[in-house]
Amino acid sequence: MSSHKTKNDWNDESTSEISVTLLPLSTEQAVSVLEMVQGPGAPRSYELYRVEMVIGRAIDADIPINSTDLSRRHVLIKRQPSGQHQIQDLDSRNGVFINGVKIHAAILHDGDSVQVGSLLFVYHEGRAIS
Amino acid sequence: MTFFVHFWGTRGSIPTPGHMTKKYGGNTSCVEIRCDDSLFICDGGTGLRELGADLLTRGTRPITGHFFYSHTHWDHIQGFPFFTPAYAPQNTFHVYGTAQGDKRTYDLLSGQMRSEYFPVDFGELRSNIVASHLDGGHRVIDGCAVSYYEQQHPGRSWAYSFVKDGFKVVYATDNEIDLTLSDPKAVVADPLAPRTIPDAFRRFCHGADLLISDAQYFDDEYLTKVGWGHPRATTVVDLALQAEVKQLALFHHDPMHGDADVDRKIALCRERAARMNPALQVFGAREGLELRFG
Ligand SMILES: [Zn+2]
Ligand SMILES: [Zn+2]
Repeated sequence: MSSHKTKNDWNDESTSEISVTLLPLSTEQAVSVLEMVQGPGAPRSYELYRVEMVIGRAIDADIPINSTDLSRRHVLIKRQPSGQHQIQDLDSRNGVFINGVKIHAAILHDGDSVQVGSLLFVYHEGRAIS
Repeated sequence: MTFFVHFWGTRGSIPTPGHMTKKYGGNTSCVEIRCDDSLFICDGGTGLRELGADLLTRGTRPITGHFFYSHTHWDHIQGFPFFTPAYAPQNTFHVYGTAQGDKRTYDLLSGQMRSEYFPVDFGELRSNIVASHLDGGHRVIDGCAVSYYEQQHPGRSWAYSFVKDGFKVVYATDNEIDLTLSDPKAVVADPLAPRTIPDAFRRFCHGADLLISDAQYFDDEYLTKVGWGHPRATTVVDLALQAEVKQLALFHHDPMHGDADVDRKIALCRERAARMNPALQVFGAREGLELRFG
């Protein structure tokens, strides 16, 4: 049938067996980030690299911030098995606001604003690493 | 006294998993209200499955729960057969009808587990499931006063209010308030004009710290959906304003609305609220959100 071959064709299709390659099914995520847009030292980014991270005025908080608006342990951010981050108010005095609404807990989504006292953060969701 | 309100499912009509609905969620109606040690569950849509899984992580004590169903359309009952705590003998669940002898909800919950629909029979649920009722529209459960209000919806539906120590939460979904407005022409009138909510419903919601309300449609969409059982989101803002509610959660999101649409709906409702009373806080109910009162 080579007579039907047009000038533009490359070689004929091979008939040899193809070995199928499996790439690992990775669930690894790039680290999500809380970007402080308002507060002492802003702008500044905090990577949420641990499963549980506490923001507070306490010197031993995972994200210690020197602001009298904050309780010593103000808010907990916890990575769920699903990879999503849950934010939870730790009975703080001044509360936690997501997109302007006072919450006790919430799942964070890309672009959410997180306000604690006069500090304002934006949550950036980590993207899957290929 | 502390109320915790947790949204497990906020979608209306049918589950909508997928990328477009990631933020507000794809599970259908289910809201958990914890009042001190009491557990109230409003509707058992697909969000109920996850509530059940979560309850099992909270400890080993027997669970007692009180189910209040707005009505028995699919999107409000489908999670029940997947509610794991109902399979454990130490747990007790009360399913409330609106009056003595009203077992419609109980019967439909068991009906949806007939073998044609589901592999496990209702009789095999080992927890104690009790058909209970509100006495004359009202009942005090563990010190929390629960009342109902009959809404406007094909096949009937009910709103519930929960009051304890001066805090009030109202759950009112699947309610076409637009059909009950005092001025029947309000639907085609100037959209900016205030819409007058019937007195009885205004009183029922009055002073709520949180009103969770069906807010399914945009104004323009509603015109082709009159009689389907759901309101314009903007009408719900007028209800919240006239009932002097503090916070309004827009709920029962339309399955055709992606997150960006729901964001737009919230923005429109906030604009309307701001024009009339900037103190009213309006937000979109979304999965995983938990609020605290008291
Ligand atoms: Zn519904
Ligand atoms: Zn319905």
